[in-house]
Order: sequence, then C-alpha cells, then structure tokens
Amino acid sequence: MHPKEIETIHQAYLKRAGKERRRVFVTQVLLFIVFLGLWEFLARADFINALIFSYPTKIAALFWQLLSDGSLLPHIGITVWETLIGFLLGTLLGTMLATLIWWFPFLSRVLEPYLVVANSMPKVALGPVFIVCFGPGLLSVIAMGIAISVIITTINISASFREVNPQYLKVVQTLGGNKRQIFRLVILPATIPTLLATLKVNVGLSWVGVIVGEFLVAQSGLGYLIIYGFQVFNFTLVMVSLAVIAIVATVMYQGVAFLERKLTSQFQ
Amino acid sequence: MSRIPSMPAKIELRHVTHLYLSTSRAFMAVKDINLRVKEGEFISLVGPSGCGKTTLLSLIAGLERPTSGTILLDGKPVTGSTPRVGYMLQQDYLFNWRTIEENALLGLEIQGLRTKEAEEYALHLLEEMGLADVRKASPQQLSGGMRQRVALVRTLACQPDVLLLDEPFSALDYTTKLKLEDLIFATLRRHKKTAILVTHDLSEAVAMGDRVTVLSRNPGEVRREFEIPFPIRQAPPMEARHREAFQELLQQLWKEMEVGADASEGN
Repeated sequence: MHPKEIETIHQAYLKRAGKERRRVFVTQVLLFIVFLGLWEFLARADFINALIFSYPTKIAALFWQLLSDGSLLPHIGITVWETLIGFLLGTLLGTMLATLIWWFPFLSRVLEPYLVVANSMPKVALGPVFIVCFGPGLLSVIAMGIAISVIITTINISASFREVNPQYLKVVQTLGGNKRQIFRLVILPATIPTLLATLKVNVGLSWVGVIVGEFLVAQSGLGYLIIYGFQVFNFTLVMVSLAVIAIVATVMYQGVAFLERKLTSQFQ
Repeated sequence: MSRIPSMPAKIELRHVTHLYLSTSRAFMAVKDINLRVKEGEFISLVGPSGCGKTTLLSLIAGLERPTSGTILLDGKPVTGSTPRVGYMLQQDYLFNWRTIEENALLGLEIQGLRTKEAEEYALHLLEEMGLADVRKASPQQLSGGMRQRVALVRTLACQPDVLLLDEPFSALDYTTKLKLEDLIFATLRRHKKTAILVTHDLSEAVAMGDRVTVLSRNPGEVRREFEIPFPIRQAPPMEARHREAFQELLQQLWKEMEVGADASEGN
C-alpha cells in the first residue's frame, strides 16, 4: 500500500473519531439543557411543586444574589477547607497505618479482625461520639471526614503493599538492602498508582463525611446551608448548595485525576 | 573452623539441608548438599523442577539460613546477604519508575557506595553491553534482551566476586538467549568472576559451565557431576555447541536426568 493511501485512510479515521467525540459532547450538552428546560417548564406550569423542587432560573438568581452579597463564599470556603483537611489527613493516617502493618506482620495479624469490624461499621454513626469528644464545630466535622476514609485507605493500601511482586523485594535484598530500603525503593514507588487511585476514592468519601458532619453540628458550610434551607423550607437554597457541591467536588476530583495522570505516566 | 591451607574454595557447602515449614507440612527442599566451587570457576546446576536449585542459590546468597549444615564464602560462614555475592533472577525485574541508568546504579545506592568512581564504572559497563544510548530511557522502552543486560549491569556494578544466575535466560527468545549467553560468558571470564548457573536447559549448562552438577528431585541431592572437557569449556557458548563431543556429553547428561526422574517417580 502506498504511504499516501495509508495517510488518507488514517485521516479519514481521525475525522470519524473526531466527529464521534463531537456528537457525544453535543448530546451531553443537549441533555443538560433539556433537563433544565423541562424542570423550569414543569415547575412554572405547576406540574411539580415549585416550593419543593424550585426551578433553575430561581436557583440561578439566588446563587447570584448570595454570591454578590458575599454570604456564599465563606460557606464554600469552610466546607472545601474541611474536606481538604479530612481528605489529606484520612489518606495520610491510612497510609501510615498501612505502613506500620506492612512493617510488623505480627501487628497485621493482630489488627485484622479489628479492621474488618471498623470497616463494616457505618462511620457516620460515630457522629455523637465525635461531638462529645471534639465539641460541636469544625473539629467534629473534620473528624468525620477522616473517619470515613481512614479505614478503607488502610485496608486498600496495605493490600497493595502486600501485592508488590516479591521478586522486586528480592532484587533489593540480593543487593544488600534492608527493610527500610525495601520500603523506600520498591514498596512505595511501586504502589504510587494505587495510592493515587485511593486519593480519588477518598475525595468522594471525605465529601460525604464533611457534609454529614455539617448536618449534625455546623453553623456554617454547604452542609449547614442544606439543613438550614430545609428547616426554613427554602428549597431554592438547598438546590443552590447541592449545585455548588456538585461543581466543587467535581473540580477537586478532576484535580486529583490530573495529579494521577501526571504521576503515573511512567507506569503505563 | 580453621581455613584449609591449600587452595580454599570460593564457595563451599557442607552437608547443607534446608526445610520449608508450613502449618500443613515440613518440606525438605535440599538434603545433605556438598559442593565446592573454586575461585573463577563456573558451575552449572541442573535438575528436574522442584529439586531445590533456587533454594540453594538463596542460601548461598544469604537470603535464607540453611536448616542445618554450613555455607562458606572464602572460608567464612555466610550470615546474610553481602555485596560480594551478586544475584541474577529469571527476569530482569527492572524498576519501571527509574531510568535505565538509575536502575543500573540501584545496587551502589543501596550499599551507600555511589561515588563518582563507582558511577563511572557502572556507566562503563552499560557501554560495554551496548546500552549507552538508552541510559535515560525507561525500562518499558527496551526489549527483553536489553532489559536482562541492564539487570546484569545492575549486578556487576557492585563488583561482586561471585555471581549466582537463576535461569537468567529462561524468559528470552532463543536468539536473544544465545547472544546473551555469549555476552555473560565473556563478561564473567574477563572480570574473573566465580559463578553458579541454575538452568533447565541442558545444552546451556554444558556450553557455559566448567562443571555440571546434577541434582535429584525431592529432596534435592547431588546426583552426579560432569567435568566439561577443555575445548568445550574454553569456547564461547554458541561455538561450544558445535564442538566435537558436545552432543555426546549432552546425551550423557540427558540420560542421567532421565534416570533421576524415573528413580524419583519409582519412590
């Protein structure tokens, strides 16, 4: 086959692939617009209760008002802050626990049933305990964010530590490496992909923990806005909070996903 | 134990027995192994799978302690892994997160010997193996044969006197394997290393070794030793295969293995 011919075939293929991508994107956008339009129409025409479900233009208007009078940003800030802290500490503590468990196989055997119980336990049920321990405020919310991600992180990371091919460890051992070197040179770098995948899961988990924590105790934050809106029956406010959470959580998740792509490019 | 005054063995195994213990059973991997390897000698270890060849290498490398018996390196008991013993595994197991150069320097880094001089030696070895162009490449970009060559550099960079080769060619295609055999043979000769090669491939055992030791199966015991005649021993492996008497030797070795296999099945 002529190189020119191959080139044309390839070009045609690229064109088709590009077209397909555009079609998917356009459909996605259309779907969103249709959803919003239908919602708006149904609420205004009184097919659904506008008091409960609100409608897009009203939500957007309230969003704009809260944003411009400066009352929304502090709530976003506090929740993002709590989530970040909960997410980072949960991941860090989980990784440290996993490291200890890897280092001392005896500890791993001792802790195994406890981890299983702790993992099965719905962490949000610990809410009252946190409130008693840390007071009804920021600390309790962060504790919830940590609690919800730390055990699963420990379990996942220590499993990935164990799954590192023992032959890699043998390489370091035959070169005279000790346990610390094995950890630093093999275990840690080899599990970076798992670590980052765990980060992605933990972003979502921390959001759950923080929002539930705010439901329980907070005087500020997006979770508090939802509960407040619910109590004063302002569901437009609830919807604004939900929309903001969806956007901010997605941005955070994409940030971690970007980090993952950057750091794991050498593993593919 | 005092040193033997006349020509001490580089590696000596005395009545080495090793058990693997689990809750269900105690498995004897090797039994009463006696082996002497002189300085600069190249020994091939062959035997049916499960005859404890890899166990023996692990014991000599000091990764495990024998259940009973002693292993001496230069007349001194082996107590743990030492930089004097290099080990090559069945596959390269290069670290994907390091460049070729960083992989080659791994041993030096672990042993805290990463001096300018040592680094230069490692780079020189890379060059010797025809890997100078891929220094900054990542392991995934290299072919199997190239990767195993990097693994060899990684081992040699620490300047061990003894090399333990655990079927290092088994994962390669036939042509690459022949070329790498020649390369390793020449490199070990030039650097005057003592080596033990574990292999399934009998022709490889004869072509590379000065001596071939046949182990029997379950538990591994030394069954017989073959001295390789000078002309075959001297020639590089690829050429050695065409030497007179090579085929005959191979036949003998083959028979010995067959007898061994029958005997163990009869048990």
